[in-house]
Amino acid sequence: MNSGVAQSPIVSISQVTKDYTLGKVVVPALRGVDLQVHPGEFISIAGPSGSGKTTLLNLIGCVDTATAGVVRVAGQDTKQLSERQLTNLRLHTIGFIFQSFNLVSVLSVFQNVEFPLLLQRKLDKVQRRERVMQLLEQVGLAHHAKHRPNELSGGQRQRVAVARALVTRPQLVLADEPTANLDSVTGQNIIDLMKELNQKEGTTFIFSTHDAKVMNHANAVVRLADGKILDRLTPAEATRAMAAGAEAH
Amino acid sequence: MFQLFLIAFRNLGTHRRRTLLLGGAIAGVTTLLVILMGLSTGMKESMLRSATTLATGHVNVAGFYKVTAGQAAPVVTGYPKIIEQIRQDVPELDYVVQRGRGWAKLVSDTAAMQVGVGGIDVQNEPGFRRVVMVKEGSLDALSRPGTLLIFEKQAKKLGVKVGDTLTIVAPTMRGTSNTVDVTVGAIAANVGMMSDFNVFLHAATLRSLYQLRDDTTGAILVYLKDLSQVPHVQARLRQSLEKAGHILMDNDPRAFWFKFEVVNREGWTGQKLDITNWEDEISFISWTLTALNSLTGVLIFVLLVIIGVGIMNTLWIAIRERTREIGTLRAIGMQRRRVLLMFLFEAMTLGALGTLAGATVGLGVCLGVNAANVTMPDVVAVFIMSDKLNLAVNAGSVIGAMVFITGCTTLISLIPSFLAARLKPVTAMHHIG
Ligand SMILES: Nc1ncnc2c1ncn2[C@@H]1O[C@H](COP(=O)(O)OP(=O)(O)O)[C@@H](O)[C@H]1O
Ligand SMILES: [Mg+2]
Repeated sequence: MNSGVAQSPIVSISQVTKDYTLGKVVVPALRGVDLQVHPGEFISIAGPSGSGKTTLLNLIGCVDTATAGVVRVAGQDTKQLSERQLTNLRLHTIGFIFQSFNLVSVLSVFQNVEFPLLLQRKLDKVQRRERVMQLLEQVGLAHHAKHRPNELSGGQRQRVAVARALVTRPQLVLADEPTANLDSVTGQNIIDLMKELNQKEGTTFIFSTHDAKVMNHANAVVRLADGKILDRLTPAEATRAMAAGAEAH
Repeated sequence: MFQLFLIAFRNLGTHRRRTLLLGGAIAGVTTLLVILMGLSTGMKESMLRSATTLATGHVNVAGFYKVTAGQAAPVVTGYPKIIEQIRQDVPELDYVVQRGRGWAKLVSDTAAMQVGVGGIDVQNEPGFRRVVMVKEGSLDALSRPGTLLIFEKQAKKLGVKVGDTLTIVAPTMRGTSNTVDVTVGAIAANVGMMSDFNVFLHAATLRSLYQLRDDTTGAILVYLKDLSQVPHVQARLRQSLEKAGHILMDNDPRAFWFKFEVVNREGWTGQKLDITNWEDEISFISWTLTALNSLTGVLIFVLLVIIGVGIMNTLWIAIRERTREIGTLRAIGMQRRRVLLMFLFEAMTLGALGTLAGATVGLGVCLGVNAANVTMPDVVAVFIMSDKLNLAVNAGSVIGAMVFITGCTTLISLIPSFLAARLKPVTAMHHIG
């Protein structure tokens, strides 16, 4: 696997902290995180609920800003960017896959996948159609292009979400617990699909999970606990470490 | 852009009950507005039509002549020269006529009534011929001295037909009354309520009734090609007549017979000219129009406020329901402006569809009422200036109403839409509900 050591990282995080304020209480969600992700990697962020996975992905995804530290995405310091520039960075560089799919219910499968292309305004109608159908083909939903999301199963909806995230050929795809709302077989299929696209297109994936089976497919597992990175392991090491951790309890 | 419309449209379709309720309210207000505007415009048309035929030009040059300070006669002396000057100074002119003015009692064998008597030179009255529909006799009969035109209602009241004789009894300033016997030469269809108290007499006969000179008339009625030019022409005539040595009365926007009291109280003698427009001359009845318009304004305003609250509320609910969707769209790269547009479109689409439906219904009602040719009872006829209910249908004002109401719904929705656009993607994305 190309670990891309020679290339500059697509995500570079140093000494990042993130505090949430709830009234007068300050909740530290991240406490000094350093992380580098290189193009083409397929990385899993693992950790128990409340360990800060979502917070970290939000920072990488430029939908939230760090309390302190530097977050660089595609070479840009996100603190220096305006709201408008951040939106553009998200549109052109990042794809999102959400735990609960988050499709637009009044649009068809085709229109959902096409939406980011319309926002980008780079392709004409024919090109868009070709691109959308190509992706629907890849996720195995070409025959469901005209359906509305609520006519699909959870697994199918997440496939649509994967297609929507990848339709713009983003450099980076972020997935926050993409399998949490799916049964384990369907979840496996989604991870397999992501892996396949990672290998074919070289798209960088960062996904969070607290499911040991799901993280097996990753190049590397970044373990998070209490807002800190514990270590960065291979999937096998991670499985062993987590098993040991579970025994220790 | 199209996709935003599609989303707006489909969201409206998804919440059918809500949409129908609000859209129905918008449609209702539009219908009401179209009908009320139709009524108002219809009244205005009737008024304008009857008034400018029977009582006033678009601009009038009239005035008073006083032999002594307390005896004012509503006449213009030396009118041919003034008409000549008007022809020179008013290129907007359609035509100009002169009419004698009097107030007299009309007596038949069976009844009598008080009327305004217009002295008319029927050969030189193009507008009069266009509007006055003769039911019995002919207009040309009026070119014979001693001939009178009356209206159907008057004929009925007085119990006369064409060819019958009536006596006109006119009080003079000296306290005596002059009388003259005249023949009914024509009976015309009623022209709104103003035809109730106006009759027209051969001009020379009127002059002799009041013992006036040949170059004296009651008023010079100036008709323009374009009504919007009235204020300019009025102002210009004031200037040029003053420059020509005439003495002008101060502008007083009332009908001429309201002015006797004021004029009689003033100390001057001789001739003064008074320049008015058609609105001044019928101001004593056009308050009904003003009242209707104010009522319409207040009513529509109140209804729009209610609808505005409804729209705000509905959009609030929609934004709450779709907070997660907003967050998602913002996360995948939709700019704030487009989120704003998305919700504005929703309000706009609702407004446009609602007003379209409302305007259609309103137009249908107007056309239906006009086709039904409803005859109004006398009391109402006085207020609407016509014995037939006439709801004028004017494409411009209907479209105007639609644009106005749609604009209001869109404008009011700016507030919630703006707040939706300000939502931070991260909070919106994780919103539960
Ligand atoms: N919007 C928020 N306001 C306050 N506290 C928050 C908020 N989001 C997350 N947290 C807190 O931050 C910590 C990390 O949360 P999160 O990143 O969601 O963890 P994970 O995704 O691993 O479950 C938790 O203690 C959580 O309670
Ligand atoms: Mg989480």
